[in-house]
Amino acid sequence: MTTLIDTASHHAGHTDQLITPDWAEIVRITPEADGVTTFWFKFTSPEVQARYRFAPGQFNMLYLPGCGEAAISMSSDPDAPDRLVGHTTRLVGNVTKGIGKLQVGDTVGMRGPFGTCWPMAELEGKDLVIACGGIGLPPLRPAIYHILRSREKYGKVTLLYGARTPKDLLYQNEYETWKQADIDVQVTVDRGDEAWDGRVGVVPMWFYHFRVDPQKTAILTCGPEIMIRFVIYEALARRIPAGRIYVSMERNMKCGQGACGHCQMGPYFVCKDGPVFPFSALEKFFNVEEF
Amino acid sequence: MSPQDEIFAELQKIPWFRGLQPKHLNQMAEIASLHRARAGEVFFREGDKEDNVYVVLEGRVALDIFVPHRGKVRFYTAEPWEVFGWSSVTPTVHQRTAGAVAVIDSFVVGFDAEKLRQLCEADHDFGYLVMRRLANIVASRLMVTRLQLLDMFANPPEMKND
Amino acid sequence: MTDQQPSIGSTVALAKPELDGLLADLRRGGFRTVGPRARDEGIVYAEIESLADLPRGIQTAQKPASYRMTQTGQNRCFDFIPGSQSWKQFLFPPRTELFTARKESGKWKLDENIEEQPRYAFIGVRACELAAIEIQDRVFMRPDFTDPVYRARRAGLFILAVNCTHPNDTCFCTSMGTGPAHKAGYDLCLTELDEVFLVQVGSELGRSLLAKRTFDLPSAFVQKNAADALESAARSITRTLDTDGLPELLMDSLESGRWAEIGKRCLSCANCTLVCPTCFCWDATDLPDLTGKTARRERVWDSCFNLQYSYMAGGNTRPTIRSRYRQWLTHKLSTWKDQFGVPGCVGCGRCITWCPASIDLTEEIPALRAEVKK
Repeated sequence: MTTLIDTASHHAGHTDQLITPDWAEIVRITPEADGVTTFWFKFTSPEVQARYRFAPGQFNMLYLPGCGEAAISMSSDPDAPDRLVGHTTRLVGNVTKGIGKLQVGDTVGMRGPFGTCWPMAELEGKDLVIACGGIGLPPLRPAIYHILRSREKYGKVTLLYGARTPKDLLYQNEYETWKQADIDVQVTVDRGDEAWDGRVGVVPMWFYHFRVDPQKTAILTCGPEIMIRFVIYEALARRIPAGRIYVSMERNMKCGQGACGHCQMGPYFVCKDGPVFPFSALEKFFNVEEF
Repeated sequence: MSPQDEIFAELQKIPWFRGLQPKHLNQMAEIASLHRARAGEVFFREGDKEDNVYVVLEGRVALDIFVPHRGKVRFYTAEPWEVFGWSSVTPTVHQRTAGAVAVIDSFVVGFDAEKLRQLCEADHDFGYLVMRRLANIVASRLMVTRLQLLDMFANPPEMKND
Repeated sequence: MTDQQPSIGSTVALAKPELDGLLADLRRGGFRTVGPRARDEGIVYAEIESLADLPRGIQTAQKPASYRMTQTGQNRCFDFIPGSQSWKQFLFPPRTELFTARKESGKWKLDENIEEQPRYAFIGVRACELAAIEIQDRVFMRPDFTDPVYRARRAGLFILAVNCTHPNDTCFCTSMGTGPAHKAGYDLCLTELDEVFLVQVGSELGRSLLAKRTFDLPSAFVQKNAADALESAARSITRTLDTDGLPELLMDSLESGRWAEIGKRCLSCANCTLVCPTCFCWDATDLPDLTGKTARRERVWDSCFNLQYSYMAGGNTRPTIRSRYRQWLTHKLSTWKDQFGVPGCVGCGRCITWCPASIDLTEEIPALRAEVKK
């Protein structure tokens, strides 16, 4: 089997508890776009709050008693001084809709962090193409914050971000800061209107507009699986090795511990062996329908 | 710089044109014209008779279709070195199937589509190069259109129980 | 009668009624003794107290989608082959209460379920079943994550194993290298003969329990009878599953048309996963009260055949039965090995017997193999 991303240093606190959550309080709510909101959490236990750390790309299980749990990636800065844990989520499932009705001061259950992370240390010295779409940007934002903190350690950094319409673009007020830190922010939408002077098209196509050096470029991609597939086609066509294309996969995560079976994809438990995989690990069955 | 020299200089910047023989590059320059457009300026409207096929040199050109009650829907933007208005080179399409407008101040080069067709007919080797290029453009446009058609960022439907 | 002490690894002959004393000792020692009982025209695993509770004089006949019990008129206790139930229901209960969330003055609090886990003595564990327990050990007690319920129950477990002498038509343990005779992993292991049990000692606990009983050294005659019975049992298993290159075969067959064929027959009823002694998938569900102020969280068995199993906000990963059956079989015989080092099948045949559509993996694998060879 291909070597997966090693996150030994980022393991969740509990390795012998069955889905027992800690409680976390909502300290801030940021509406991001229609139906997409960022919730900022702080654990109610000061010990847990002091201990909790996560790496870019990892996720938590958020629990709303009576509704159940949902796996949601962290979208905040892992090194933020206030140590708040940000989750940007689309209010679409049972749990997230329930959380959407909560207010500042309400509590939810939280377990984590789980899963593998974007291999930021390994990527130092590389040119990075961050290709994401829709709700795929939030799991990459911690990686962007990490890059901002040590910009000099990375080569060319390009963010390709696609959304359905201009009003669906997340974190619009941050693009300028990212650009100032020499991140090439390329935004595109599926459907524009006359007020939109940006690009209309799809993320995979933007590979046609710049040259990548296959020797030193790594791809980080997250978004709808169909978008990921086309990003991978373009990256492979530019001879970027499969082992340097990192993909964040979505499956039905339930326990986060590789125990309950739901998120299996071939030999992997996506919650533990992923969600971030080098594409080389998925290549064999990535295009198998309904696998 | 004479207008013809300027056209020649601009054409040489376009990556695809670098592979052309000098003879062919000259022929292209002869049927080319440069256009500077302010943001909002319309290159052509849906239904217009076709004249030029364009390559964007600078700026951004949006392709749109007017939909009653929805207004103009932008479905593609052409960025520098991209072609738009390519259907004018095909043998069967005789009117614009979409509108083209400069989104920001733009600089484009247009080629007389009728003359380009004639060049292709007269010299099939050259015609092959042009049509091969067009095939690439059509293929990439189709891919974009398909991905847009899938509406991949739409909210998923609610779960239905079995 | 002998005054010799049994030792680990040794074999003794035990008069059958002596087993009652052993069961009583186990119960006195705090064990819940569970074993086979005849119920509802099948064999289930339930509390037993004595030999009288065992399915005496019962043999079973199995074939795809069929399980039948017959009375032999004999007095033997372990001539049957187990039914739909397996021991996993005790180590990995179908329903486990985890905790209750309670809302007090606007904040959620958590009452953890700290119930002590019961200590079980399994009476009559077959070789394939013990192999299944050892597979679930790998699943539930990984180096990086251990299931606390399973671990506690497994740590306290006493295993009284039984060698199979009357395998059924659906058995294929010989192909999977798990049976019909036990090799290790038990506390005590019985081979049943007409008059006596031949008992092998596998652990210190087993030895000390046996030491309290009256036993004999086995005569050469008894030993030969037992050896013959086991040999004939192994010979009687004719169903086979060719495991050569099986994980690779399945991964190379993901696009086979065979899956669609099976998909037409499979009802996606999940029987195979529920009866499988190694299947481990579970779900967590919330049971809120009517006021919404408390919610009980439970862990329940789940199955990859359930449509909700692969549901996520973007849709369903495996919406068709074809893809769900493929998931089950490729996991069981291929990717399971990647995950846990061994395949997830022990050859017990339950999935064949209890499939209402008579889908038989020992037929499907050769069919896939034939396709690849083409």
